[in-house]
Amino acid sequence: MSRISDLFKSRPHVINVGIESFKDDLLQQGSEVIHLEWTPPGRGNPALIAALDKFENPAILEKIEEANKLAVERIINSQPVLIGYDQAINCVPGMTKTTILHAGPPITWDKMNGPMKGAVTGAIVFEGLAKDVEEAAKLAASGEITFSPCHEHNCVGSMAGVTSASMFMHIVENKTYGNIAYTNLSEQLAKILRMGANDQSVIDRLIWMRDVFGPILRDAMRLNPNGIDLRLMLAQALHMGDECHNRNVAGTTLLIQALTPYILETDYTIQQKKEVFEFVASSDYFSGPTWMAMAKCALDAAHGIENSTVVTTMARNGVEFGIRVSGMPGNTWFTGPAQKVIGPMFAGYKPEDSGLDIGDSAITETYGFGGFAMATAPAIVALVGGTPDDAIGYTTKMKEITTTENPNVTIPVLDFAGLPTGIDVRKVIQTGIMPVINTAIAHKDAGIGMIGAGITYPPVEAFEKAMLALSENIQ
Amino acid sequence: MINAISGDSDFIKEMNNSLFTGFVHSTFNRTLNIKCFESGDLFTIACRKLDNGPNTLIVNVDNMKSGKIEVNDRVRVVKNLLFIGDKLTISMDQINEWEGVLPSYPSNEEILKRNVKKMKDYINLHGVGGGMKKKIITENPFEAEVSNMLEKRTYFLMNELVANRISSALPHAVSLVGLGPGLTPSGDDFLTGLFTILNMKNSPLYPNKKLICEEVLRKAKTLTNDISYMTLKKAAIGKVRESLITLLNSLLIEDDEDLILSLNKLLNIGSSSGTDIAYGIVFGMEATIRAGGKVC
Amino acid sequence: MLVQALIKPNTYFDSVSLMSLSTKANQIEEVEQAIIAMGTEMNKEVMKNVGLMTPEVETAGASDLIIVVKATTDELCETAFERINELFTKKNSGKKGKNDIKYSTISSAAGSNPEANLAIIAVNGAYAAREAKKALENDLHVMMFSDNVSVEDEIELKKLAHEKGLLMMGPDCGTAIIGNTALCFANAVRKGNIGIVGASGTGSQEVSVRIHEFGYGISQLIGTGGRDLKEEVGGIMMLDGIQALEDDEETKVIVVVSKPPAPSVEEKVLAKIKTCKKPVVVWFIGGNEEKITEAGAHFAKMSKEAALKAVLLAGADESKLNKRALNIPLIEEVRTKLTPEQKYIRGLFSGGTLADEAMHAAMEKFDNVYSNIQRNPEYRLKDRYTSQDHTFIDFGDDEYTQGKPHPMIDPSTRLERFIQEAKDPSVGVIVMDFVIGYGAHEDPVGAFLPAIIEAKQQAEQEGRHLEIIGYVLGTELDPQDYEEQINKLLAAEVTHASSMQNAGLLAREFVVKGE
Repeated sequence: MSRISDLFKSRPHVINVGIESFKDDLLQQGSEVIHLEWTPPGRGNPALIAALDKFENPAILEKIEEANKLAVERIINSQPVLIGYDQAINCVPGMTKTTILHAGPPITWDKMNGPMKGAVTGAIVFEGLAKDVEEAAKLAASGEITFSPCHEHNCVGSMAGVTSASMFMHIVENKTYGNIAYTNLSEQLAKILRMGANDQSVIDRLIWMRDVFGPILRDAMRLNPNGIDLRLMLAQALHMGDECHNRNVAGTTLLIQALTPYILETDYTIQQKKEVFEFVASSDYFSGPTWMAMAKCALDAAHGIENSTVVTTMARNGVEFGIRVSGMPGNTWFTGPAQKVIGPMFAGYKPEDSGLDIGDSAITETYGFGGFAMATAPAIVALVGGTPDDAIGYTTKMKEITTTENPNVTIPVLDFAGLPTGIDVRKVIQTGIMPVINTAIAHKDAGIGMIGAGITYPPVEAFEKAMLALSENIQ
Repeated sequence: MINAISGDSDFIKEMNNSLFTGFVHSTFNRTLNIKCFESGDLFTIACRKLDNGPNTLIVNVDNMKSGKIEVNDRVRVVKNLLFIGDKLTISMDQINEWEGVLPSYPSNEEILKRNVKKMKDYINLHGVGGGMKKKIITENPFEAEVSNMLEKRTYFLMNELVANRISSALPHAVSLVGLGPGLTPSGDDFLTGLFTILNMKNSPLYPNKKLICEEVLRKAKTLTNDISYMTLKKAAIGKVRESLITLLNSLLIEDDEDLILSLNKLLNIGSSSGTDIAYGIVFGMEATIRAGGKVC
Repeated sequence: MLVQALIKPNTYFDSVSLMSLSTKANQIEEVEQAIIAMGTEMNKEVMKNVGLMTPEVETAGASDLIIVVKATTDELCETAFERINELFTKKNSGKKGKNDIKYSTISSAAGSNPEANLAIIAVNGAYAAREAKKALENDLHVMMFSDNVSVEDEIELKKLAHEKGLLMMGPDCGTAIIGNTALCFANAVRKGNIGIVGASGTGSQEVSVRIHEFGYGISQLIGTGGRDLKEEVGGIMMLDGIQALEDDEETKVIVVVSKPPAPSVEEKVLAKIKTCKKPVVVWFIGGNEEKITEAGAHFAKMSKEAALKAVLLAGADESKLNKRALNIPLIEEVRTKLTPEQKYIRGLFSGGTLADEAMHAAMEKFDNVYSNIQRNPEYRLKDRYTSQDHTFIDFGDDEYTQGKPHPMIDPSTRLERFIQEAKDPSVGVIVMDFVIGYGAHEDPVGAFLPAIIEAKQQAEQEGRHLEIIGYVLGTELDPQDYEEQINKLLAAEVTHASSMQNAGLLAREFVVKGE
């Protein structure tokens, strides 16, 4: 009875769930009250509540907790290192001359949205498989091209994610677990292939990247025997005010600083090297894809752990948002409709011009930075429409749906708390809180490109489907 | 620990006679309000630049915001000490009791009439617009409509008052409660001024004051916020802040400099509050003078 | 042009800050017009006059700050609000308290606030048990306001709480006072040395306010929920509650309030009381005196009696108490006003136990007493819309609430029924309770006043006297104005009863014929 006498001796310090006026009455009496932002678990769906209940059965709960512990340990302990650059055909598993990888879960040509079709046709022209985009569209529809998600080839792709055989890729090796991840190079911002643009200027840039930029980076990294420790660099960039999804100012500076001595050592002309530095300087986004590959590399190591409810992939193809969960091995996707991205637009564009959420870049949030690390990037809170306090709020809220904090990558303003790590499907369903994603906005039509940036959330359906599947799978 | 410099005698009595407990109801830069559990009334702790007032304690600090005091902090009084949570302790060892007493209405109105006229001219010129005083350029239709409604309703109120039709005056008075922008809405400030005049002993309207003040007050409880209601409640029994009493005294003597000085102090209250109170005083004086059968 | 509003409840800014905020808000590019003002009735009238009224503004109270924005599109309104909020937060920064941190689950809130010790669960019954379990697992005491929770869940939760030494008040527990703090529906009463364990919310409320009126106070008021003393649950919380009060140093006297328990549970509870070292007053509404006194407890037949016995045991001097005896001359007077046809009581109650007590008073003198809460099925109301002879209705019962809020919050259903009963020429007296206190309606009497006045006038025109008894359950410390509630009743010529017990007895006596 000591707990009851403790209560009698102190005053009630209340957690109020439900009717809010009870909170007001307590405040009026001078009591301490915390009012929960409560919503019915699983949006009140009995099947989901049954699944949540099932997972609370002590025997099952123990299995899940153990599996999740292992999953987040693997995410945290992964040490992704940039070991080189090469053309996709030379390194990406399953790559062929007529394969085109794309962002998000699987999708067929006829279902692709404007930006993705624009990028696909542009890539076909770039690869020399068609003479112009019209012919490329016919070829894409003919069935001669193999479409496949980046994620199913150890890759990630920003925005449309379109990756073809001769494009240069980052090669990132997980020094802890041995797996490798790939992503292609940044075309820098605005009118670019990954945003759906495909005119001659876009193709010309891709050709220069294939013939000059890519080879210089490849040869530079061949001169670097140790590679570049990306986790360490990510941690530094976060301390310098990047969240490494929408803000990459610090990360890009750090990355090019690490590459520069080796670039200088290569045999290319001064003019060519100058072009490389000017290109990197033209946009902060140069390191954006690098962080995606880094996250992919760590998360792949945590995929396929039996009984784990930790999310290992969040990706969008512009039509559907798909997630993969560690406890559902292989390429098991759970999808829902892709959402709108809300945020400031470039001058001259209106919200109705935006395409739906697209790209594999949500891998950054899956790891725990990007939108999850908003607190560390007060400089861009305007971009996501809020105050620094809101930014901190985003990060603390994500702790409600994650498993642990990553002590290797920390946020100074939150007393050096680690990144919220290991999105747990159970917690998302229980709380109704959706992972927050910082992202760019592409124009809904092919050929135009980036028109803004903002935040978005996954569709709840993807998590609900995953929850039900997990419930069947975990016994 | 900080010292209380002076305090309303009623407030001091309340603290001495009973168990005084409550909580912080609201905080501002220079004042904070305490809601008393026992009586449900609001009490004010004000910093030293402010004047004495009903239910008010003046303390020896320049700013109330520095102590990290938050709404709902517990307040209790033990002997001569007032505790606000564990954040602030106020000692009442060196306190001076203040008792606000309104002057009586003069038997000879000549000086008063002249002074009221001067006061009216002065506030028309120097008062703060937005409430009783119309702004020349209004920022928005809300403000314009508030000023119109105040003008109309006080006009009707005057007509009924001077004809001594108290029961038909009441609805007009009630319709002013809660009207206007600001923490204390302009209509309330106006009524505070009016109530003050009604409470002057020997005034021709004094016999009606109980009826008017009590009826308006009864309706006011739900028509305005706690803070403004408390001010009205006190004004209804002739308890008003020091600067107002000083002004009344100035109105009774022939000393222009003194009058302007007192008036300036009043006009400095709040945003337009002081001006709105001043209009209420002028209105009350005019109504009294006219009701007395000696046309102004 | 679009008008949108934002309400900031109970927000006070001094006038100067408000003006400067208003000026700054009007300078925001997206804004056509912005208005910031307190939400008084008069200001709302102004908004209406200038075409800036919105449904949100309609609901604002006099202590709420309203922000109204006029802009060309939805998006612009949104942006404007964001900017205005920025102005407010800039003003506010550094003032943020713990209340600003948002939590979504009990576990996260409890994890970050180790000082939290109690959870109030007031969500749909389908989810309530889950949340309560989470709370108990986090070592929080639970007050569960939710109903429609299965008996199995209730038993499981109460067993878990018992094992952990925690309180599990409810499900369907509406009243508790812990550490001098009223939880959910309870009255502001003095702190004192009398502890209450109650299975019935309004019954406990009634006893607590009577004790307060006698000048004594409450140490703790523990609610058990209405089903605790049923056979299946077995009085787990009641037994723990009595034990907790026995262990509590501040408690000198214990009052137990419940409907008559299931026989096996009654036995357990009385056995517990028998061993209790502190005096226990038992009020089982309509309960058996013999067994209770046998257990060494003090039997109370009615609510005021329970309170009186408790304060006497706590040391009160009986000669100094104002026991508020029944007003016999008044009874005589009312009887002469009623015609022979006006012979029935109609009791319309928001409090279940209050209905029960009045009904039991009537049952002592009459047989034909009908109710939706009659234990004898023969006397259950056949049709919930039609009264029958003496009728007592608990409007808090599920069949009357029908998804609406409780009648203590929403008076509409009871009000309709009152108008209907007032027209019935066979009605001798209508008796009603008006509950104030935390959680309750801000002006329950006021909600009935126009209808009462009209009904009285109507009856007078028809040449009959309409007798109404009103009882205000509350104290002068409650957030509503207790005196004002009573004065409103008196102004409408309603007979004011000083306690529920008196209300029940007066109603009964008014319609006794030819004694």
